[in-house]
Amino acid sequence: MKHFSRIFAAAAVSLAAALPAYAETTLTVHYPMPGFFKNVMDTISKKFMEENPDIKIQFASPSATYEEGIQTILRQAGTDEMPDITFIGLNRLRMLNERDVAVDLGPLVKKEGNMAELGFSDTILKLAQVNGKQVGLAFATSNPIMYYNADLVKAAGGDPDNPPKTWDEVIALGGKIKALGNGVDGIDFRWQGDDWMFSALLFGAGGKMLNEDESKVAFNGPEGEKAMEILERMVKEGGMPVFTKPAGEQAFAAGKVGFEFQTTGALVNTIKNVGDKFTLRTAKIPLIDPVTGHLPTGGNAVVILTKDAAKQDAAWKFAKFAAGPYGASVVVPGTGYVPNNELAAKSPQYLGDFYKKNPLFQAGLSQMPLMVPWYAFPGTNGVKVTQTIVDNLSRIVDQSATPKEALADAASDVEGMLPTQ
Amino acid sequence: MSSIALAGNVSSVAAFHRRSEDRTAWLLAAPAIVLLLLFVLLPVAAVIFLGFTDFELGYGKFRLVGFENYAHLITDRTFRKSLWNTSVYTAIVAPVSIILGLGVALLIEGEPRARGFFRTVYFLPVASLIVAMATVWQYLFHPTIGPINELLALVGIPGPNWLGASNTVLYSLSIIGVWQSVGFNMVLFLAGLTAIPRELYAAAHVDGAKSALDRFFLVTWPMLGPTTLFVVTISITNAVKVFETVKMLTDGGPNKASEVLLFTIYQEGFVYLRVGYASAMTVVFLAILVVLMLLQYRVLDRRVHYT
Repeated sequence: MKHFSRIFAAAAVSLAAALPAYAETTLTVHYPMPGFFKNVMDTISKKFMEENPDIKIQFASPSATYEEGIQTILRQAGTDEMPDITFIGLNRLRMLNERDVAVDLGPLVKKEGNMAELGFSDTILKLAQVNGKQVGLAFATSNPIMYYNADLVKAAGGDPDNPPKTWDEVIALGGKIKALGNGVDGIDFRWQGDDWMFSALLFGAGGKMLNEDESKVAFNGPEGEKAMEILERMVKEGGMPVFTKPAGEQAFAAGKVGFEFQTTGALVNTIKNVGDKFTLRTAKIPLIDPVTGHLPTGGNAVVILTKDAAKQDAAWKFAKFAAGPYGASVVVPGTGYVPNNELAAKSPQYLGDFYKKNPLFQAGLSQMPLMVPWYAFPGTNGVKVTQTIVDNLSRIVDQSATPKEALADAASDVEGMLPTQ
Repeated sequence: MSSIALAGNVSSVAAFHRRSEDRTAWLLAAPAIVLLLLFVLLPVAAVIFLGFTDFELGYGKFRLVGFENYAHLITDRTFRKSLWNTSVYTAIVAPVSIILGLGVALLIEGEPRARGFFRTVYFLPVASLIVAMATVWQYLFHPTIGPINELLALVGIPGPNWLGASNTVLYSLSIIGVWQSVGFNMVLFLAGLTAIPRELYAAAHVDGAKSALDRFFLVTWPMLGPTTLFVVTISITNAVKVFETVKMLTDGGPNKASEVLLFTIYQEGFVYLRVGYASAMTVVFLAILVVLMLLQYRVLDRRVHYT
């Protein structure tokens, strides 16, 4: 027995010697969509640990989608398994906040003082706020842009160096591209899946989803009508077929669609898929009202979950680092997202030169001042509401309803799903 | 058997034996019983219980709401639509895949050469990953660049927008469903066919069953009874359980035209996080399956000829 205890003692001593002298904090980080973010996360955490040798980052197994991510977090909330840090889709922050799982970053931001100096402007901070509460820091952000096939634009009599700037021009040129025949379509607008691209039209017209106190639907006003009419005209005049989401992307990559409207986050994948089949170009997405118009922000935010004070300090360091200029300089070239940090965008140390060399990435960058939060609906039906909107959009696209009918139906359905106050 | 025979002679010893045998039986069955309890019965009980609550993932508290969820289900347009779509899908996929599976099995059985080759080819869809194959189908069905529509265009037929249009999407998914399950049904039928004694065919021949059709209806079909019952059960369950293709290809759209039960449950439970309501749906889903199975066994079992 004595023999054994001696071995144990020796083992314990050598283990203690192997450990670094300073107190080490280990943070468990969870993130969604490893296909997009695995390399990015590895790079960022490695660099972070180099700069902060007293903090160790370990990864929980990533979730395939934002939905699965938030499920995992909510299941683990309050248990030992809960990670210290996670990344949540910007449109799910409200859901997380209503369930009171995330740490309020407000006090930490205040303590930090000059966040703007680190590249976090107020606009950028607002992207991850819910009702004024700082739930996270925007990590990877995107906005909708216009992709176009320069060869088809030229063939239809357009000027690829001077892409259309209004929806009227897009629709007219789309119609001409469709008229080229040979199975070519004019436009693919990614209306499926969620309400993000509808927001792009609605916010672009200066509209809002709900009224100020969130008690009534506001998207059925004149702005919403214009948005729906543009969608209908894309089908009727602009040569937009009824595509499923993957079908649209495929057709565009095959060189069979003139214009594609979707997130700038898909840029790197689109570049890869297009290869040298045609000349791919990007430009700003038109706004129905160029004066009051805005664009929704897609992407995710880093959220702190740990309630442990010591860990929170370390987690805050990591959150700032990931969402900061270095993090952005890793995320942007790897995905096509826009920098969520103003320092990263301008400073040649980070991405200044990158944009000069990669003009395709500039469309998203140039729209950054227009970005407003992706609106999330209140209450338990918050996510379901977006599906109702998509269903009604599909009725316009397959022309089984007029814009007015679809808008009225969407409004009354959504009205019924809002929380009663 | 021998211990029972012994029991008539020495009753006390036999009783002891029986008891110890009982104990051994329970002991041997215990792992299975425990696992069944833990992984089948308890979850079902939990789902039934949650169906009576308004539990939402992330909120610690929930409240018992009685039959509120079920009352809501009856008027829920989405749920009714998905119930209807699932029925249509099953009504197409189950019979077609059974008949085709049987046909292919008979053809392969009657073909002396390359039997292994055909068996493998037809079984491939079963062995392949449906998530990956869905991507292939999505390309085949592509309205403008898909090979199917390009072939149709060659002969001057304008191809439909297979997965994009609300009036064709369910049929397109059914085609994929049939493709997926024919091979599986074929293998089951092949196994059933090899189990039929050759002498029966010889006897039928002697009795004057000359044509292939006669032989099929006199010998093959009745002898395949137990297999068919099993195939019907499996096919219907699998068709009702359709999910991956919908999730991968259409997301239930356009405008809920391909919304099926499991997809609706997934959306409610895992995307909208309304676990209580999703549980109520699951209970209905389970009830439908159980009723279907009972009906089948009741109706079909009587007509099945077991050897």
